[in-house]
Amino acid sequence: MSRMNARQQAAWEKRKVRRQPERRLVAVEMLFFFSAFLLISLKEKVDFVGLLLAFVVPALIFVATIWMPRFFPADKLLMAIVNFLCALGVLILYSTDGDAGTSRGFQQALYYGLGLIAMLICILLVRYVRRWRVLIWIIAVGALGLIALPLAIGTEINGATNWIRIGSTSLQPSEVVKIALVLILSYFMSRRKLVPWLGFVGLCMGVLMLQKDLGTALIYYCTGLILFYVSTGNLALTGVGLLGAGGAAILGYKMFAHVKRRVAVWRNPWQYYETSGYQIAQVLMAIASGGLLGVGLGLGAPRVIPVYFTDCIFAVICEQFGVIFGILTLVMYAIIIIRGVSTAVSARRGFHALIAMGVTAMLGIQTFIIIGGVLKLIPLTGVTMPFVSYGGTSMVSCMGLIGLLQGVHSLNQDDLSYDYEISRTLAQQAGLQLADE
Amino acid sequence: MKQQRFRFRVMAFLLIALLLLAGGYGVYSVSTYGSRWFGSSYNTRYRAAKKTVIPGDILDRNGVVLATADEEGKRTYPTGWHTRSAMVHVVGDQDGNVSNTVDSFQASYLWGFETTLEERIEALRTGEKRRGDNVTLTVDSTLQTNIAAAFANLENSKGKAGAAVVMNYKTGEVLALLSVPTFDPLGSMDAVKDDPQHPFWNRAVQSVQAPGSTFKIITAVSTLQNLADAETHLFDCSTGATMIMDQIIRDYGYEHHGMITLEKAFQVSCNNSFAQAALLIGDKNLKKTAEAFGFNDNFLFRDLVVENSRYPTQNRNDFEVAWSGAGQSQVAATPLHMCMVAAAIANDGVMMEPRLLMKVNSPAGVQRLGFTSKVYSQACTPELAAKVEGYMKNVVTKGTGKAAAVEGLSIAGKTGSAEGSIDGRYVTHAWFVGYIDDPAYPYAVSVFVEEGASGGKAAAPIAHEIFGWLTGQ
Repeated sequence: MSRMNARQQAAWEKRKVRRQPERRLVAVEMLFFFSAFLLISLKEKVDFVGLLLAFVVPALIFVATIWMPRFFPADKLLMAIVNFLCALGVLILYSTDGDAGTSRGFQQALYYGLGLIAMLICILLVRYVRRWRVLIWIIAVGALGLIALPLAIGTEINGATNWIRIGSTSLQPSEVVKIALVLILSYFMSRRKLVPWLGFVGLCMGVLMLQKDLGTALIYYCTGLILFYVSTGNLALTGVGLLGAGGAAILGYKMFAHVKRRVAVWRNPWQYYETSGYQIAQVLMAIASGGLLGVGLGLGAPRVIPVYFTDCIFAVICEQFGVIFGILTLVMYAIIIIRGVSTAVSARRGFHALIAMGVTAMLGIQTFIIIGGVLKLIPLTGVTMPFVSYGGTSMVSCMGLIGLLQGVHSLNQDDLSYDYEISRTLAQQAGLQLADE
Repeated sequence: MKQQRFRFRVMAFLLIALLLLAGGYGVYSVSTYGSRWFGSSYNTRYRAAKKTVIPGDILDRNGVVLATADEEGKRTYPTGWHTRSAMVHVVGDQDGNVSNTVDSFQASYLWGFETTLEERIEALRTGEKRRGDNVTLTVDSTLQTNIAAAFANLENSKGKAGAAVVMNYKTGEVLALLSVPTFDPLGSMDAVKDDPQHPFWNRAVQSVQAPGSTFKIITAVSTLQNLADAETHLFDCSTGATMIMDQIIRDYGYEHHGMITLEKAFQVSCNNSFAQAALLIGDKNLKKTAEAFGFNDNFLFRDLVVENSRYPTQNRNDFEVAWSGAGQSQVAATPLHMCMVAAAIANDGVMMEPRLLMKVNSPAGVQRLGFTSKVYSQACTPELAAKVEGYMKNVVTKGTGKAAAVEGLSIAGKTGSAEGSIDGRYVTHAWFVGYIDDPAYPYAVSVFVEEGASGGKAAAPIAHEIFGWLTGQ
């Protein structure tokens, strides 16, 4: 740098700006959400919450994708996509609020902000914490305590005892523990400490089973299995794990009437329309009503779908924006997976690589379970759609996971620029000039 | 480390493949079942659209308006009492009591869900209530009204429930789709609701009944396919009864026919012979032929929601197989499907998909969509179809279906008297399926009379009337 004159310096800066195509993407994103919120808030009578959101949501996107990355190297494409999904959730929730008297859109905007803070904390955690040995045990004990808490003081919601109430707000500890799970499993696996690894997974699964939270248990199990496979490469044991899960599923089907009924409902929801098939039938009708291009933002009848704001929010997206948009949403999740795995591949340390892979696996599996369920590919299990579904804990956990990923990415970038500096110094010593200058 | 990176990529591939699988399945199922989900009577969305959209008209093939709407968007039925009652199961009623009618199944057109963006903007500009598309059907309301009258007036079907289907066997166009009893869509529904004959039920597509001897068309095809000496083999009906597994197969009225060929057995509708034929060719072959004719298939016709027909696959023993040859023992089909079976024989073994929609026009009169005929399946070879056609002609000229014959027309047909049960009561339903073998009148007919006792006596006379009207006699 020191050899550059002022003119060269200016050209270099300009080039740096031009090299950020994400800026354009983010600009389009912000414009999209600004106009969308404006559209709904001015539809009948002026709604000030909507007007506020029209500025707040693009501002949050700006903060996350343009401002935050100034302080550390971030994966901006990943950031732009994740923020799009978060903002999409706020938008859908706000549009379904309408005259229903709920204010989920505004709530979700707050959660979105909270999620960004969680993301920042996780980035800092991965980026600056160097000594995990003691910390990881503290996290493990804390996580186990947290996940078991609902058994002691929990409330039952929709058949699963996985919520705790603090004052007027409710919390789902198993969501937050996801972050800890990825950290703990990656740490123990990268140190080849199988006993605490298995112990933690086993305890978590046991607690989740006791809480009858099958969807989350499935996510935990699959994440654990994937991490086990990628770090050991032991296909035989992974196969045993898969068979065990399959066996457990068959056993559960044979033993429990409600599992049987859920499978029957999955196979033909219309037959059980009056009872347990109602939800999926409504989901299918909503998707079919949207057609290819959707009925339009704020239109349609999304509120007839049970839990349209969490589990079935994908159906609302498909109804309002159409099947094509729904598929594009899936593509966004696919890009998240690609970015996550490429971060894992370029990580220099085993621990970081496994963190990135664990985050990717967890988000990928969760997305598949809920979207596959909504599209009737697999039986519908109540888990949230990452980034989009209504809920503070879900938002915090998903953004926290992305924070871990961004932290690993920033370390990778640091390593890369360190390499670059070294090669530059070496080249200078040898009297060569690097092609990039 | 390198291997680990490879495994990372494998997992990325796997996860993305899972997501794409979900997306692909979603696209597939929406494109296959989407209109069925949307048209479901449970879907409240088009009821919501009723506030903002005036539904389009439903017309028959000759342009007769069967259903329209007033300025409020409320459905009215401008035809006379006879016609609107006869057409109610096709068109629908205001309260949606009949399921999967044109009014609900074609809701995406009728309620304007298919209108283009320009049309929506135009409607916004003029400030008028948006209008849905007009749907023209392939049915002939005059013909269907006449059939309803014949059903009500002929001695052996008077007061009985049943169904009649007429379709063009070359194109699959449905000309009549009648379910009896009918009811007036403008009348009071209270009495209709409690009627023990369940008038809301569209028997033509929803009543899955044992086809009885009409199924012998399929058994005959299968026998000709699978038995080398099928045409010369003599079946034993010298006593009028066959013992299988200590149980007895008997003919209608304990008739006995002696030693007879397949052709003769078909003509006199001999259960013993067809039971023996079914055992000779075996359950597997008979099932295969039945499935070629659409049994056990998941019917996903574009214009019609039809209950699936069954050829049983469980609890099979010789006695059951033998009765299956005569269209009993859990074999079941709808009147529409049996009409398709006859139509396939008429159309050289090619079964056409039944069609109910002729065209959809925008409110401005521009044709939005025209519909084309589609082959459903190649049920059997043209040679086999020709042979069975000969058998079916014998039935009408000198066999059990003489009542269906019309002077000067070459008619093929098969009667059926199927044993079934209503509320635990054993009853005999009457069937007739047949067609006119004449390129100028390519029509197949299926008549089903609940508790009609004898196909030849209750169902064939109605078919006789239908053939007459179709040819203008």
